[in-house]
Parts: sequence; C-alpha cells; structure tokens
Amino acid sequence: MAIIEARNLTYTYPYAESPAFKDVTLRVERGEFILLTGPSGCGKTTLCRCFNGLIPHFYGGKLEGEITVAGLRTTEHPIHEIAQHVGLVFQTPENQLFALTIEKDVAFGLENLGLPRDEMRRRVDWALKVTGIYDLKDRAPYEVSGGQQQRVAIASILAMQPEVIVLDEPTSFLDPLSARNILEVINRLNKELGITIILVEHRLDLAARYANRVIVMNEGQIILDGEPRKVFLENEAALIGVGIPKVVRLYMLLKRAGLNISRVPLSPEELSKSIMEELIFDRG
Amino acid sequence: MSMFDGLKFRNISSPIHRIDPRTKFIYVLTFFIVAVFFNQLIPLLILFFSQIPLIIIAKVKKEWLRLIKGSSFFATIIFIMNVISLYFYSGYSSFASIIEQASAMTVRFIVLVESFSIFFLTTSPDMLGLSLEQIGIPYEFCFAFTTAIRFVPVLAEEAQTIIDAQRARGLELEGGNLMKRIRNYIPILIPLIVNAIRRSLELAEAMESRAWGATEKRTTLYMLKMERRDYCLILISALMLAASVYAWLFIKIPTLTQILNIQG
Repeated sequence: MAIIEARNLTYTYPYAESPAFKDVTLRVERGEFILLTGPSGCGKTTLCRCFNGLIPHFYGGKLEGEITVAGLRTTEHPIHEIAQHVGLVFQTPENQLFALTIEKDVAFGLENLGLPRDEMRRRVDWALKVTGIYDLKDRAPYEVSGGQQQRVAIASILAMQPEVIVLDEPTSFLDPLSARNILEVINRLNKELGITIILVEHRLDLAARYANRVIVMNEGQIILDGEPRKVFLENEAALIGVGIPKVVRLYMLLKRAGLNISRVPLSPEELSKSIMEELIFDRG
Repeated sequence: MSMFDGLKFRNISSPIHRIDPRTKFIYVLTFFIVAVFFNQLIPLLILFFSQIPLIIIAKVKKEWLRLIKGSSFFATIIFIMNVISLYFYSGYSSFASIIEQASAMTVRFIVLVESFSIFFLTTSPDMLGLSLEQIGIPYEFCFAFTTAIRFVPVLAEEAQTIIDAQRARGLELEGGNLMKRIRNYIPILIPLIVNAIRRSLELAEAMESRAWGATEKRTTLYMLKMERRDYCLILISALMLAASVYAWLFIKIPTLTQILNIQG
C-alpha cells in the first residue's frame, strides 16, 4: 500500500493569484528514497507542506483534490496526528530548535505527545545515537555547528518514529563535507531503518547516489518521475536548469565520443569503475 | 553588553548549580527582603561578604566580577544622588554620617544585584522554565519564556550582521544629536523586526511538525525534585529571615561613624 497518495492535487496560497502547484498526482511507496528537485519556486516546498498537513491547516488557502498520508486524509486530521506519521525537517536548522539543550530539543515532540519519561529517555538516546550526536546532548543548540544543528533537527523528528521523513533542502546552509555527512545519515535511516525518505535537494552531485527515484518539478507540475539513471538523461531536466550530476554529464560526453559505458553512473566511484572495466575489457 | 553578560547562564557543574531553582529563588528572595530591612552600613556589608563564598563554590567568580563592574555605574549614580539629597533634605549634621548613609544605600543595591546574579548565573533557563511549569504556570507561557532566552544570542548575531550590512552601504551610526542617533537605528530595527517575524513563522511551523498541542497532559524529559540540600537551604533562609527580623526589632545596630567615634 502506498504511504502517500495524492490525486489531482491543486493548491493556492491565500491571496495568491495562481496556484503554487496544479493537478499533482503522486504515489509514494513505503521504503522509497525520493529525490525531489526542480528550480526555485517550482512548488517543491509547498508540496512538502501538504505531506504533514501544514497545508491546509496552518496556511489556509485552497486545497483541491485528494491526499492521504498513511491512510489518513490530511484535510480531516489535525497536524499533530499526521506529524506522527510524517516528519518534516526544514531548511534553516536554528529555526526548528527550541530548547537550550540538544537532548531536551530531541525530546520536545515526545513531550508534546505525552510519552512516559522512561520511554522518552530511551527514544531520545536512540535518536541521538543514530544521528551520531550523543556526545553533544548537553550542549546548547546555538553552540554547535550548522551540520550538527541539522542532525539535531533530524534526531528530533526521528525520535517521534515517523514512517516518512520529508527533508526540505537540509544541506543548503552547509559546507560540502557536512552536507555529505548529513546525506549519509539520511541514507542510513532509509536503508537500515526502512524509513521512507523524501529529500528536496539542489545538490544532485551529492544526493543522486542515494535515491531510487527522482521527481522533477517545474512551474507547479511534476514533469519527470522515475529512476535517477533515466531521469537525468532526459533533455528536459537539463533545460529547466536542474543541476544534472557532473558524472552523468561526463557519461553523456564520453558516450558521444564513442566510449560505451553500460550503466549510467550516479557517483564518481561508479563511473571510474565502469571506465576501468571498459578499458580492461577492450584490452582483453 | 558587559553588564548583561553577568546575567547569562554558563553550563558548569557545581553544588550551587545543582540546587533546585525554586529553592534558590526562595534563598535569593530572603536575601532581598533582608537587604531591604536594614539601612545601616554594617549589616549590609555583612550580607555582601556572606555571599562571596557561594560565588566561589559556584565557580562564577569572573562573570560575577564583571557584573559588579558593570553595575558600578548605577552604583555611583545612587551614591551621588543619596549624598546630594541627604545633604539638602535631612538633618544630618556630620559629613561622615551622610557618606555612611549613602554608602549603605549603594551597598544595598550591590547586594541585590549580587544575589540575583547568583541566581541567574547558576540556573539554566531550561531549569527555570521547568520550575515555572512545575509550580503550575501554563506551558505556553513557560515555552515563550525559554524560547525568548534561546533566541537572544541568535538575534544578537543577526543584529550585528544587519549593522555590518547597512554600514557597508554607508549608514552612519555615530554622530548627531540624540534624535538623529535614534533615527540612525531605524534602518537596523526594521529588517531585524521583519526577520524576527519571519523567523517566528518558521518556528511555529516546526512546532506544529513536532505535534505541538497533541495532548493536554504534556510530559517532560526532566523532572525537578527537592532533595535534602534543598530543604536545608530553605531552613537556612528561614532562620536568616527570623534572625534579621529579630535584629531589626530588638537590636540597635550601631553605625560605623559611632564605632569610630568611640574609638577615636
């Protein structure tokens, strides 16, 4: 059964003249790692806000069509109920942390749910360990680096044990190394814990290798949806300004030059391996 | 900002830090009341010096000194105002007693600053929020309180960024008369306020995403518990209060001038 199902979804912000996205139909299966991308202002963030009920409950506006998340119609259930199934991690780390110690921040959602203290303690410690910030638990959120803050944000969502985690450009304020570390953490959540991931990201060079599905949006519509190795080869993706991973572009250039590589690479390691295989094969 | 640094909590561990905030507050309040009871220099000086061991145990000597230094400006004003008003409006004949009376008022001010700084220097705002919660204040207010404290450093940093950005565009902050100076700060305040509003919207979104308001019976990760040392400190506070009420009612406290006169 699909964990998120949207049918003919159209949403217009209050006082907006035109809809932020139009006629979006989307089915997300359990355990998928989806990379959602597209130029700024294409409606990605707005779509994310539909997944946990911020739209329409928090924003108002006009939502047409139908969306169910974990079997719940988001229009009929309050945000706090949907939030237990879908966690949303935002772009700015410092604006989603409230407490004065990291540990207490991770507990915030669980406190709101009214969990007993020993259960809360167990889940907090678990989430801190999974995200690799257990040693920082007594520090204040504003004392640690941006990458660590974003881990705190992820841990605090993780502690609520949602089935889906939606991340809205979690790496945009981070340097490449921290960004990569965060993506590794996200990937572990998907591969080891089976959590469905929807990752909004512009840095495809870093993120492409983890996803098993890429969705490209433009001007409020889904224009491409499929396996990364296929989507990145589409002309359309390059035309609307999606930052096609450099290894994929190199692959295309090599192919045009006559080097036939069997598989579209998603990381430099994959490409180098394919080239080596090709060269050894030629020699033999 | 140096004065406010003295009110900023630093996360260190000491016996004083571990005391329940509620107990500490009772203690500070007792000190406050006792300091208001007396207007003679000697008991106020005793109060002042009796606090110093606490500051050393709490390992906040440096911050505390900075705070006292920061409050010296107000202390000087209080001293001068007292000297002037005592000179003109009271029947004090000797200059020495005027000075003593004015110093007593100044020391009283410093004792008040001192006791509150011990409280704020050794109490985590989180714990403070938690104790507010546990004495029955609605969670919304406690949350607003801790969030306000949480965002002070963030907003301070943002203000600095805006100041730098506006200066880079040629904004003059210094110079001119008072009105002009106040007007100079408008290009800094407006972006700061707009950003704060935007930030608060994002915060609200994040709160909603973490099941804010899911249940009436919210639980907490930490729990404050009164221990034996807390009851001891409350007892000490009560004794201190009783002793000072007794002294205030039945003992005539000599002034320093009198003592010196007897000796001299």
